[in-house]
Amino acid sequence: MKINFWFLSSIIISIIVVLPILVVFSSFFQDTSNYFEILKETFFFEYVFNSLTLLIGVLFFTFILGVGAAYIVSFYEFPGSNFFKWSLILSFAVPPYIYAYSLFAFFENYGTAYTILKNLFGEGNYNQLIPKFDGMFGLILSISFSLYAYVYILARSSFLYQSQNLIELGKNLGFSKIKSFYSVILPAARPAIVAGLSLVAMETLAEFGAVDFFSVNTLTTGIYNAWIAFDDLAFANRISFFLLLFIFILFLTENLSRKKAKYHLETRGGFKIKQKIKLNGVKSFLAFAFCFILFFLSFLFPLSQMLYWTIKFPDNLFDLKLTELLLNTLYLVFLSSFVLLFFSLISNYGNRVSKNKILNILSTLSISGYAIPGVILAIAFITLIAWFDENMFQVLGLLSIKKIFIGSVLGLVIVYCIRFYSLAFNGIKSGYEKMNIAVDESAYLLGYSKFKTFSYIHLPYLRNSLLFVLILISLEIVRELPITLILRPFNFETFATTAYISASEDLLEAAAVPSLFLIVIASFFILLTSKYILRENNE
Amino acid sequence: MIIVIILNILNILNINECGEKEEDMKNITIISVFVSLILSTFATANEVNIFNARHYKADAELYGKFTAKTGIKVNLINGKSGALEKRIIEEGADSSADLYITADAGRCGAMDAKGTLQGGLSSAAIKSAVPKNFRTSKWVGIAKRARIIYYSPERVTGAELSGMTYEGLADPKWKGRLVIRKSSNIYNKSLVASLIKNNGKKATAAWAEGVVANMARAPKGNDRAQIMAVAAGEADIAVANTYYLALMLSGKKGSEQQEAAKKVKAFFPNQDGRGTHMNVSCAALVKGAPNKKNAIALVEYLLTPEAQEHFTNNTFEFPMINGVSPSPLVVNNLGLDFKQDMNTKLSSYGKNQAAAVEVMTAAGWK
Repeated sequence: MKINFWFLSSIIISIIVVLPILVVFSSFFQDTSNYFEILKETFFFEYVFNSLTLLIGVLFFTFILGVGAAYIVSFYEFPGSNFFKWSLILSFAVPPYIYAYSLFAFFENYGTAYTILKNLFGEGNYNQLIPKFDGMFGLILSISFSLYAYVYILARSSFLYQSQNLIELGKNLGFSKIKSFYSVILPAARPAIVAGLSLVAMETLAEFGAVDFFSVNTLTTGIYNAWIAFDDLAFANRISFFLLLFIFILFLTENLSRKKAKYHLETRGGFKIKQKIKLNGVKSFLAFAFCFILFFLSFLFPLSQMLYWTIKFPDNLFDLKLTELLLNTLYLVFLSSFVLLFFSLISNYGNRVSKNKILNILSTLSISGYAIPGVILAIAFITLIAWFDENMFQVLGLLSIKKIFIGSVLGLVIVYCIRFYSLAFNGIKSGYEKMNIAVDESAYLLGYSKFKTFSYIHLPYLRNSLLFVLILISLEIVRELPITLILRPFNFETFATTAYISASEDLLEAAAVPSLFLIVIASFFILLTSKYILRENNE
Repeated sequence: MIIVIILNILNILNINECGEKEEDMKNITIISVFVSLILSTFATANEVNIFNARHYKADAELYGKFTAKTGIKVNLINGKSGALEKRIIEEGADSSADLYITADAGRCGAMDAKGTLQGGLSSAAIKSAVPKNFRTSKWVGIAKRARIIYYSPERVTGAELSGMTYEGLADPKWKGRLVIRKSSNIYNKSLVASLIKNNGKKATAAWAEGVVANMARAPKGNDRAQIMAVAAGEADIAVANTYYLALMLSGKKGSEQQEAAKKVKAFFPNQDGRGTHMNVSCAALVKGAPNKKNAIALVEYLLTPEAQEHFTNNTFEFPMINGVSPSPLVVNNLGLDFKQDMNTKLSSYGKNQAAAVEVMTAAGWK
C-alpha cells in the first residue's frame, strides 16, 4: 500500500462524510427515555404505515406517468413531441413542498378554484363541490408530480438505447404495439425503470417539507417530532435506523439494477437511431393530450398558482429582500459546489491512483449520504459536534466549537457536502470511467508528475462532467429545505426557507413570491443541463 | 467564529510552549492584546439576538423602530418554534440566543421547565404593564389572544349557544357539527392544559372523548381553515383564535375570505364562570444570554403603547397593556366586553402540556 497525499486526503474526506451515518447507527444501541412510552408504540406503527402507503402511492403514480411519457416521447412523433421531450423535466424545478402549497391553495374552501367558479358562474356555494386534495392523497400527488421525472429520464434513455433489433423482433413475431410494449420494450427497460423508481423512493422517504405541510406522520417527520417534541434524540435515531435500513435496501436495489442497466446499454452493434412512428388523427391528439396534461399539472399549474398569488397580493413582492435572498442562495450554491467538486475530484483521483480496497469501501459508504434524509443528517451533525465539544474540546480546556459549526455557513456547507457528495462523486466517477487508465500511464512515461497529470490531462477531459455535476448540485441546493432550516445562521434566509416559514405561519400567499423565484432559478439550471440529461447519441 | 479558532490556537501554544521561550511569550502577549481588542469590539457590539417563531411582517418593522430608537441592532433567526427551542437547548451555555419569542405561553412554559430560561424580566416597567397571570420572571406576554368559538348564525340558534362553555363542546348536541385543529397544535395543547388545570385530568379525558365524538371531520388545516369550514357549511361551530377572523375581514387574505368571514360570528365561552381562555405571544429570556440588558430593554419597548398599537393594528391581537385599544376590526366584529380568564395562570399551560397531549391522544384526537 502506498501512502501519499492523494490517498490520505481521500481517506480523510471519506471519513468525514461517513461519520454522521455512523452516529445514527451507533445510537441505535443507546437507551431511549421512558417518556411517552405508550405513545411511541402507537406512533411507530402509524409512522411505518403512513410511510408505506405514501411510498406505494408515489411509486404507482410515478411509474405510470414516467414510463407513459417516456414511451410516447421516445417512440412516436406528434405535434409538440420535441417540446415535451425536454419540457417534461421542468417538473424538477417544483419541489414537492411548493407543489403541496399550490394544490392546497387551489382546492381549499374559498380557494382559487372557488374564485374561478364564482367568476364563471356567479355567486354560489361551490365549496362543497370542490374536491379537497389534502392529507395523504394530496401528499402523494405532490410528490409524484414533482419526482416522476426521475423515472421519465431513465426510462427514456433506456428506450432510446434499446436495440432496434429487439423491437423489430417483436414486429416480426406479429406482436401488436401493446403486446410488444409489455413483452419486449418494458422488460428490456426494467433495470432503468427500477433505478428511477428507487431514486423516487429514496426522495419520498426523505421528503420533509410537503409531509410536514399536510401533517401526515411518516418516519421522517416522526424522527423530527421525536427529536423536537419528545426531546428524545435516541428515539429519533432509532427511528432513523429503521428508515435507513429501508433506504439501504432501496439503495442496493438501485445499484444492482444500474449495473444491469449498463449491461443493457452496452448492447452495441445492433444500435441504430430509431425511426420514430408518426402519429395522426385521434392517436396524435391523445399523445399530445397526455403530455400536455402532464406538463400542465406538473409545472404550469404550480407556476400559475404562485404567479396568481404574487399578482393578487403584490405587497409580498415588495416586502421581500429579493437581492439578499438571491445572494444568500447563490452564495450557498457556489460555495458548496466548489467545495464538493474539489473534494470529489481529489477523492476520485485518489481512488484512481491508489486502487486501495479500504478506500474503495469507504468511498462507497460515503456516497450513501444521498440516501439519508436531510433532517437526519442535520440532527446527526449537531449530535456529533456536541459530542466532540463535550468530550474533547472542553476536556482539553479549549473554547467551545459549537458556534463554529452550528448555525454557521461552515456547518451548513459541510452537511450539504455530506448529503450531496454522492452526486458529485458519482458524476465525476462516470467521467473518469470513460478515460482509460492507459492515458495516465502514458502521461507518467512522458515524465508528468501526478499533480501535472491531474491538472493538465484529467481536468480538461472532465470539463463537461464537472459542469454537469455543478449544475445538478446547484439545483439540489436551491431546493434544499430541512438542512438549511435547522443549521442556518442569524439573519440568513434562502428562497426555500422563506417560503417554508411563510407557509407554516398560515401566510401561504406570502410563500408565493419566494416559491416563484425558486422555480425560476431551478428551471434555469434544468435548462442548462437538459442537453446532458437528454442526449440521444452515445457520447 | 474566527476568534474562537484563534483563541484555541493560542491556548494550544500556551500549553505547549509557554514556559520555554521568553521570545514566544512576548509574541503571544502581543497577539493576545490584539485578539482581546478584537474581542472587546465584539463584546460591546450593541445587539440583541432573537430566536423568533413569530413571523409577522409587522414584528420586523417594530424591531426596526427599536433599533432606530436605541441603536441596538436586532439579529433574527426565524424558524418554527420546535426547531428553535431545540437549537437553544443543543447549543446550551454557548447559545447566542438572548430572547426567544413565540406565539404561545405553553411553549415558553415548556422551555422554562427544561431549564433553558433565566429570571430578569422583572423590572418595574414590565411588572406595571403586564398583569400577574400573564408573566413570570423568565417570560412575559407581549400580546394577547383568546381561543374562542365561531358559529354559523344560519345553523346555530342563540338558545343553543346560551351559556356555552369549553366544557360544553363535548355535549352530544354538537355531534357531527364541530371542527377543531389537530391535537399536535400548540393552541389546542394550551387550551386543554387550562381545562386540566381547572377541571382535573380525569374529567378532561372524558371531555376530550366527547369532543372527538362531535367532530364533523378528522382534524386538518389551520385555525383559518376551521373558520372557513363553518362558512362553507362543513360544520356549524369551530374553535379558533380571535385574530384570525379579523385578519380575514381585513381583506389581507383576499375578497373571498373576507366574504367567508362575514358568514360566521364569534362567541366568547365561559362568560358566566371563570372567563374565556386567554393566551399570549411571549418573550422569554434565555439562560446565558450574551446581551441580557439589551434583551430586557427590547421587551420593555415591546410593552410601550407605541409598540402595542403596532401589534394590535397589524396582527389583530389584543394589547397586553391598558390604555391601548385593539384594532377597530376586532372591536366591531368580536366585541371587547368579554370576561377574560384572569385566574388560570398561563404558566400552568406549560406544566400541564404533557398531560394534555396524553389526554388528547388517548381520546383518538388526531
